[in-house]
Amino acid sequence: MRIFIAVILLLSLPAHAAEYAVVVSSNSTVQAMEIAKIKDIFLKKRSFEGELRIVPVNPIGNDPARTQFESEVLNMSREEINRYWVNNHFQGISPPTTQASLQSIKRFIETVDGAIGYLPIDMVDASLRIVHEY
Amino acid sequence: MRIPGAIAHPCLALALLPLSGALAQEPYQLGLGYKLLDDITVGGYLSTEFSRGENINEVLIEDLAILTYGNLTDRLSFLLELESVDFYKADLENGTDSGNTRPAIERLYADYKVSDYASFRVGKQISPIGYWNLQPINVLRETTSSPRLSREMFPKFVTGVSVQGFVPFDETLHYTAYLQNTGDMDAKYINIDVDQHYGLTLEKSLSPQWKIGGSVGKYREQNKNRTDYFQLNARYDDERFSFLTEGIVDQHKQWLGSKETSTAVYTQLEYRFVPQHALIARAEAFRDDRVALHEKIGILGYSYRPLFPVSLKLEYQWHADSNNNRLVGSFSILF
Repeated sequence: MRIFIAVILLLSLPAHAAEYAVVVSSNSTVQAMEIAKIKDIFLKKRSFEGELRIVPVNPIGNDPARTQFESEVLNMSREEINRYWVNNHFQGISPPTTQASLQSIKRFIETVDGAIGYLPIDMVDASLRIVHEY
Repeated sequence: MRIPGAIAHPCLALALLPLSGALAQEPYQLGLGYKLLDDITVGGYLSTEFSRGENINEVLIEDLAILTYGNLTDRLSFLLELESVDFYKADLENGTDSGNTRPAIERLYADYKVSDYASFRVGKQISPIGYWNLQPINVLRETTSSPRLSREMFPKFVTGVSVQGFVPFDETLHYTAYLQNTGDMDAKYINIDVDQHYGLTLEKSLSPQWKIGGSVGKYREQNKNRTDYFQLNARYDDERFSFLTEGIVDQHKQWLGSKETSTAVYTQLEYRFVPQHALIARAEAFRDDRVALHEKIGILGYSYRPLFPVSLKLEYQWHADSNNNRLVGSFSILF
């Protein structure tokens, strides 16, 4: 019986619980956002949401949050991303700005109008608004 | 304290950020330029090339260039590129050499972004026609040579105004409209000397892999000859394969009345068997009724990139006139 209940409980869990969230400031006018648009913003193909200039921010280096974002949202390997930015360097476009830690990304998003980034869901509080989970 | 994006440039905002610490910059990475300030980047490129065939045996430092770009406000940005073409050339057939160290303005423009649907560019810029013209430097190509289509069928630069963005009713469609009504800002390395040029380019993303597009435009040369062009292109890219094809028809109207046509088409296949190594095959056809020229070219090439911004390439070209067959190699780097 206990095994049966355990199986039922296991099956009732979501197949894949979101670990990370793409977030903006809770004061932002930006609401939910489609994954394609988020991808375009972080590849700097788009820069606006309505009238608001969007400022994407990445954690520096190989932070697990960044690796996860690149594979699940951008759907690109680091190799492809490097190629992309090398091609864009010639066009005068450089990668998004970076911050040293997830804590400083959170503060950046809270402080700069139009900032957008991604954080582990357990770091999201009332100062931020989730626009996409993954 | 919130920093309004409308008045505070992101780097200024960062400077004002309390508690968060300074902006953390990625360490210098080859191919991405060097950040002088938070929002000013300096970089450049170098390419060397050798050609060996029936009538040619030469080594050259083909391009040496520096570029700088950055944001002046959150909507206004600039780019400057200075380039010396044929910086050094050694003709091994005749035992002579020559050099050209004078840089020319390859690009100089300012961009003003109104929205994702309209961004204005003023100054000398690359004509947004086809694939090769937008990535005209050796290191970004997979073959040392570029198709004749991209070198002779339309002006490579526009000195004027352009506006580009997504089309509001279909955001998979991107447009660029461009207009020139003056001579070139620096005519040293241009392919066609025009004083008037205008056109429209559209590109549609059918899927993450497939894109199609085309350009239609007109230009007037300094000698008053006029040309109308109509160009179409399509490409497919995935992790291992790339397929590119372009075709263009030019209708030339001589100042004294005669009309002639020139056409060019190419198809290229690229197979990256590992990320650093690729095989490339290209077939080209070119016809110019003004000079009764009808050429066909086949190219087989190999590309090795130990790092993506460092490129070593080798290709063999078969021309319809076998006297022009040649082996071409190059080394190029973007920094």
